[in-house]
Amino acid sequence: MNHQARVYENVFEMLPSEVNPTPLVRINKLNPGAEFPLYAKLEWVSPFGSVKDRAAWELLRDLEDRGELVPGRGMVEPTSGNTGISLAAMARARGHRLLAIVPNKIPLEKKLLLKIVGADLEVISDELCPAPGLGDGSINLAKTHAKASAQKYVLPNQYENPKNAEAHFKTTGPEIWKQTEGKITHLFASLGTCGTVSGTSKFLRSKNPNIKVIAVQPTEGHDVPGLRNVSQLGVSKLFDPSLVDDILEIDFHLAYTRALELCQNEGLLAGPSSGLIFEGALEIVRRDKKGHGVMIFPDNIFKYTTNMTKHIPGLSDGTQPK
Amino acid sequence: MTKYSNPEVLVETDWVKQHLGQPGIRLVEIDVDTKAYEAGHIPSAVGFNWQTQLQDQLRRDIISQEAFEKLLGDAGISPTDTVILYGDNNNWFSAYGFWLFKIYGHKDVRLMNGGRVKWLNENDKQLTTEVPKIVPTHYKAATPNLELRAMLPEVLQAQAGKNCNLVDVRSNDEFTGKVIAPPGMTETAQRGGHIPGAKSVPWNTAVGADGTFKTADELRAIYVDQKGVDPKKDSIAYCRIGERASHTWFVLKYLLGLPNVKSYDGSWTEYGSIVGAPIEK
Repeated sequence: MNHQARVYENVFEMLPSEVNPTPLVRINKLNPGAEFPLYAKLEWVSPFGSVKDRAAWELLRDLEDRGELVPGRGMVEPTSGNTGISLAAMARARGHRLLAIVPNKIPLEKKLLLKIVGADLEVISDELCPAPGLGDGSINLAKTHAKASAQKYVLPNQYENPKNAEAHFKTTGPEIWKQTEGKITHLFASLGTCGTVSGTSKFLRSKNPNIKVIAVQPTEGHDVPGLRNVSQLGVSKLFDPSLVDDILEIDFHLAYTRALELCQNEGLLAGPSSGLIFEGALEIVRRDKKGHGVMIFPDNIFKYTTNMTKHIPGLSDGTQPK
Repeated sequence: MTKYSNPEVLVETDWVKQHLGQPGIRLVEIDVDTKAYEAGHIPSAVGFNWQTQLQDQLRRDIISQEAFEKLLGDAGISPTDTVILYGDNNNWFSAYGFWLFKIYGHKDVRLMNGGRVKWLNENDKQLTTEVPKIVPTHYKAATPNLELRAMLPEVLQAQAGKNCNLVDVRSNDEFTGKVIAPPGMTETAQRGGHIPGAKSVPWNTAVGADGTFKTADELRAIYVDQKGVDPKKDSIAYCRIGERASHTWFVLKYLLGLPNVKSYDGSWTEYGSIVGAPIEK
C-alpha cells in the first residue's frame, strides 16, 4: 500500500490508522471561541463510511483469528445501522455473511444500505413500554439466535466485546494525539456502544491525564440513530464512567439543526450525531473559554435525509414539481 | 423479611434448569413478540401465540373452554401437569396466560421469575430452535372461574361506588392521557386518560433491575403504603389490552395475597372508547 499516492491492493488497506488517519478539520464560522479551536474528526472518510469501520474490523479479525467463522457459520449482530453496514460489507468481501438485527425506527436509508452491502436483515419493533432488565429488543434477539443456533451464528457483540474499545485505543487515540501534536485538551464524543469514548479516552489519558473527555447524549425519547440516552446505557458493558469527565444531555432536536448548520456553513456534511456532539462542544467552549478540542464526527448526512425532513420544517418543500 | 403469600407460583431459572425434561413438568413460552419462540426457546418448551391462540378469533374475548382444552391437549399438557410459563417483556403475556390457565382451573401453573431475558443472559442456560415432539392429550378444563375477570359493568360500578381499588398499570403518559397507547402499538382507544379514582402504579414498579419481582416487603411498601391500595378492598387491575394488567393481577393476588383481585382485560381499549364513560386526565 502507498498512503501518499493512495494506491491500495484491497479496500482494507484504506482503513484508518496512525499512518493513515481520518482528517481533522477546523470549525471556522460556527465556533465563537477565539481561544478554543475546535476540530472535527471526519470518520466518514473511511472506506465503509463511519466510525464503526474501526470496531467492525477489529471484531471481524478477532473472530477470523479464533476460527469462529467457518463455512456455513456467519455472524449475527444487533445494530442501528453503521456497525452492520461496515461489518456486512467487510464480511461479504471476505466470504462471510451477516444477519443484522435492527430496530424498526432506524432510517430507511440504513435498512436499504444494509441490504445493498449484502446483509441479511431482520427488523424488529423496539417501541415498547420501558422495562427494567429487558435490555434492548434487537440485542436480545441477536443473543437468542447466537445461543439457539450456534452452529449458524456467532455474535461479535459490539455492546460487550472489549475489542470494540480496543480498536479505538489502537487507532483513534493515537491518530488524534499525533494530529494535534499533543495539544488536545478536550475530547468530545457521543455515547452508543461507548467503545469510541472508552478506547480513545483511555489512550489519550495515558498520554495526558488532564485531557477532559466530554460525552454527549440525546434527551430521552430521541430518534438519533446509534446514540443512547443514559437511561438506555445499561446495555453497554463498555461504558466506563472513570474515563469520562462530563456527560452532557442535549435536546435531541438540536442534533438535526446543528447538522444542518454544519452542512450549510462549514461545508461539513455531518450527520445528526455529529450535530449533537457539536452542540455539546459549544457548551464547553462557552464554559471553559480556552482549549483545543477534537470532536469525533461519526458519520455523514447521507443516511439521514428522511430523518432530517422530520426535524427540519420545510426541508422537503419544493422537492416536487408545482 | 416476609414471604410472598403464594411462593409456589414462582420458580427461578435454576429450578427450571434442574427440572427440564422431568415427567409432569411442562414449559410454555408466551411472548409479546410472536416470532421470538421460533428464534430460540428453552428445550422442551412449546410456544403459544397470544394473538392467534389465546384470543377468540371472531369476537373480542378470551378463548372458549373448548378452544383452551384443544390448545392444551394439542400441546400434550394434562390437568395434573406442573406448567411453567415464561416469556419476553418481563412475562407480560405469560402472566396473561397464567390468568387464563387459572380461569380454566389448571391447578399447578407457575411463572418463571425474570422471564425469557433472564434465561437468555445466564451462561449455563441453553436455547434451541428444535420444536418438541408432542403426544397429544385429552385435556378437560374445570368450570371457568370468571371471578378472576372484571367485565365493563363491574368496572363502571367500581368507579361509581369507589369501594374498590382500581389500579392503572400503564405508563405515566398513558395514565395522564398524553398518549393513548405506547408508540407503535396498533390497538388503541377513542380517548386518552384514566378511569376516575384509579391509582397509577405502572406495572414495571413491581420488578427490579434484573427483571425479577421485588420482595414481598418492597411490593407491599409500593402498592399499599405508597400508592394506597387498600388490602381490605376488592381490586381491579387494568392496562390497555390486558397483558400488563395480568402482570399486576399476579402480583396483587399471588405475591401480596390480596383477597379479591380481578383483571379487566377489556382495559383502556374498551373503556376509552365507551360513549359517556367518565374519564380523568
